[in-house]
Amino acid sequence: MGKTAELLPGTLDLLILKAVSLRPLHGYGVLQRIQQISGDALEIPQGSLYPALYRLEHQELIAADWGVSENNRRAKYYTLTADGRRRLREETAGWNRLASAMAAALKTTPEEV
Amino acid sequence: MLKHFRSLFRVLKSRRAFEQGMSEELRFHIEQYTDDLVHSGVPPQEAARRARIEFGSFNSVQEECREARGLNPFDELLRQLRHAARLLWKTPKFTATALVTLAVCLGANLTIFAVVDSILLRPLPFPEAGRLVTIFNTYPKAGVDRDGSSIANYYERRGRIPAFAGVAIYRYGTAVLGEAGSTEREQIARVSPDFFSTLGASLAMGRSFTDEETTPQTDKVVILTDAYWRQHFHADPHVIGRQLRVDGLWNTVAGVLPPGFRFLSSEARLYFPFSSSPEERSPLQRHSGGNSKHMIARLKPGSTLAQAQAQIDAQNATLEVDDPQAKMMADAGFRSVVAPLHADHVASIRPALLWMQAGAFALLLIGAVNLTNLLLIRASGRAKEIAVRQALGANWMHVVSEAIVETTLLTLAGGLLGLAAGAGGIRLLSAFGTDRLPLGSHISFDARLAGVAVLGAVVLGLVLAVPIAWFNLRGHLANAIQSETRGGMPGRAAQSVRHGFIVAQIALALVLLAGAGLLGLSLERAMAISPGFRADHVLTGQISAPWSKYPDWPARLAFNARLLKEVSRLPGVSAAGVVNNVPLSGNNGKSAATVKGHVLLPSESPRGHYAYGVDGDYFTAMGFSLREGRFLTAEDSRRSSRVCVVDEDFARYYWPQASALGQRLFASSDVTTDADSFTVVGVVSAVKQAGLTDQTAQGAIYYPYALRTDDKLFLVLRTSGQPDSLAPALEKLVRQIDPELPVNDLRSMDTRIADSLVAQRSPALLAGIFSVIALLLIAVGTYGVLSYAVAQRRREIGVRMALGARPEQIRGQFLALAIRLLVVGEILGSVGAWVTARAMRTLLFEVPPLPVATFAAAAGVIALVSLAACVLPSHRAARISPMEALAEQ
Repeated sequence: MGKTAELLPGTLDLLILKAVSLRPLHGYGVLQRIQQISGDALEIPQGSLYPALYRLEHQELIAADWGVSENNRRAKYYTLTADGRRRLREETAGWNRLASAMAAALKTTPEEV
Repeated sequence: MLKHFRSLFRVLKSRRAFEQGMSEELRFHIEQYTDDLVHSGVPPQEAARRARIEFGSFNSVQEECREARGLNPFDELLRQLRHAARLLWKTPKFTATALVTLAVCLGANLTIFAVVDSILLRPLPFPEAGRLVTIFNTYPKAGVDRDGSSIANYYERRGRIPAFAGVAIYRYGTAVLGEAGSTEREQIARVSPDFFSTLGASLAMGRSFTDEETTPQTDKVVILTDAYWRQHFHADPHVIGRQLRVDGLWNTVAGVLPPGFRFLSSEARLYFPFSSSPEERSPLQRHSGGNSKHMIARLKPGSTLAQAQAQIDAQNATLEVDDPQAKMMADAGFRSVVAPLHADHVASIRPALLWMQAGAFALLLIGAVNLTNLLLIRASGRAKEIAVRQALGANWMHVVSEAIVETTLLTLAGGLLGLAAGAGGIRLLSAFGTDRLPLGSHISFDARLAGVAVLGAVVLGLVLAVPIAWFNLRGHLANAIQSETRGGMPGRAAQSVRHGFIVAQIALALVLLAGAGLLGLSLERAMAISPGFRADHVLTGQISAPWSKYPDWPARLAFNARLLKEVSRLPGVSAAGVVNNVPLSGNNGKSAATVKGHVLLPSESPRGHYAYGVDGDYFTAMGFSLREGRFLTAEDSRRSSRVCVVDEDFARYYWPQASALGQRLFASSDVTTDADSFTVVGVVSAVKQAGLTDQTAQGAIYYPYALRTDDKLFLVLRTSGQPDSLAPALEKLVRQIDPELPVNDLRSMDTRIADSLVAQRSPALLAGIFSVIALLLIAVGTYGVLSYAVAQRRREIGVRMALGARPEQIRGQFLALAIRLLVVGEILGSVGAWVTARAMRTLLFEVPPLPVATFAAAAGVIALVSLAACVLPSHRAARISPMEALAEQ
């Protein structure tokens, strides 16, 4: 396990939307997927995952359905809704703008000022 | 926002499934993680432990998830509801008292509101009913305030008043339907062709009348109401063109009205064309409205009542130019008035209804004050608990919402009970005769009323919560906790609030009782008035002899003569007479008359008088007293002598100094030749035609029936036994004479008088019922507050008694408190009662401006009740044993 980073506020929702956008996942799957796609760089407190999932479901950005897990157990699977897809697109764009702005700002050398 | 509600609703719909699903999902997560740890080589027990630790507190995750789904407020509400319900359940005496109070007070309000709503508030059942108006003629200076509209008025106004989209004229009547042997009398209306289109009503089938059908020769067409069509034509879809026998003649069915059609309070089941002759339409007949013909019109969109009135006034002014009667009508104060149809129709009962609603509302206020006091007492019992909870961090929102939940739960339950009480109340009201009020048959108990009940209950709940929340929040935190050992002394402020409420309650009750007393007094005064005749032992019934069968007065006189002869033979009949209109019949039409030799003063106009045609021994049968001269007899009628009898009012007006006997008068608005005059041969007691409370001495003239025949006649019998017992024999006898003639409206004169007072009696009875309830509420309220005061001060009383206070002193102290509250309440109440009595004047009859006796009686009753209610608590106070009181704690 490499070095892990603390989550910035608000980023958990975005990560969940991203994870669910790839394929339907149950809660534990979401956790694993986020760790996988972030190269284990992000540490998600397990307890805070579910309130976030429930909040997103309440906002109808994701939808939940009962299905069967890999090991044949009943599990709740989350999928992205149309609203969720739109939100993911907007937030991704916003995040990218912020990130490139931050990167540009931090790269500034004394000569460029 | 909508999304959130949708999501919330989904969860609330299957709350249990949500909870189960959530636990299952969270457990699944922990187990999966445990499995993964075991796979990576961690020993199973250690894996389970680590999974649980990394997941965090299961309960708080669940709580956060619920919050994320917006469930918290609902869970909190449910918790508070359960809490409130438990508390109410634990205090059954309080809860029962509160529920009964609410059920009675809300029930009374709902009952009255159902009537007010149906009669005053709901629009008439026509499209844009607010644009419907009525137009009537008035001659105030001749003593005729209202005289309908004439046929000439109708033809002059039709299409000529720009503000009107339509004008129509109608009159009510009855007709005999069917063939000899199986006839029925039905209520009918005669209407002009544009009647239905003016109302905006379309026919379910067929067509309306045409202008060609408005002459007596061509008017044999009929439009059926839905009910008549179903009952008599078995809802035949091909009924148009079928024949129906009306007053012995065949009529063709032209149309059928839709099921809901109902014009004002009309009971008409069939509609006929309003036919008229060219004479009736001529300008000379412009002023013969005569209270039986009424006009309605529909204002054009954008036109106002004021515009219509101005146009009618302008037209009247133009028409007057070449009208020979113009001067006389101007002297009589003639004017045509345009009034909103609905408001005009219910104007007579509007004040009484609104006062009844005010009375019911006063009752509700008294009940609400009572409840507030009981709730405050309850709250002080729980002050410590609430203070501790606030100290432990319950925020003010929580305290407020808890108060609201508790009071609203109570008022909603009370509101549902009140709805049931209201349903019963409406039935009770119909026993008081509400269905005979204008639009009274429209009174309904429906979803709209249930909605009002729920809304009212919620509003009341919120209002009641205010003082409770205030009491609980007021910074008495430290106080309440400190007072631990003293059993929670009530705060001074809370105590004054409670006492203030008792005072308010007494004041309100006094206003209510005084109002009820005034209505009762007014009814008593009205009942004490002599109608002008001896009403006991008189049976009356109406017979309408159709003109088609009895075309002229000799035929009618022959019918009368036979009828009277046969009726006199009935056992128990001491006198029998015929008149075309009995007193208090509801028909108060007046006719012009001119007295020979009477010179009109400049300010005086020709007067309208009640005019009757009489046959047989009418005066003896009705029990009039003879003041001078003689009665008219059957002989006068048979010979059609030009004689008449007048009543005292008439005689006093025209011949204040001289005798009326031998004077001459004319049954028209001007003096003509002596051959047309009538000689007065007798003076009888004055009649109250319009009602016992009618104080205008209108004057009455009685003509021989032959000279004033009418298609209606009333048979009047003076009986030796119970008048009603003769009714069946009378009906049978009339059928023997003419099988086509039913007798309608068979009632004794006593009954007619009682029925005529329904407008006085029903409000008085209702106010009486409200007063009794108010007294009970006062008793409960005073008892509750005093008992509480005694219980609160047990220790103090114990100490004082231990120090030597006598029981009488303790008792006296509490009685003095009660008396102080009573006196302040009654002083305030007297002021309120005085204001109310002044405002109620239009409703009252012969009640003095300052009815001291009534007020004193009301105040006395209230004093008695509230003092009786505090005897028990103060007695209890006096019997407190010092040892026990001090030993408690």
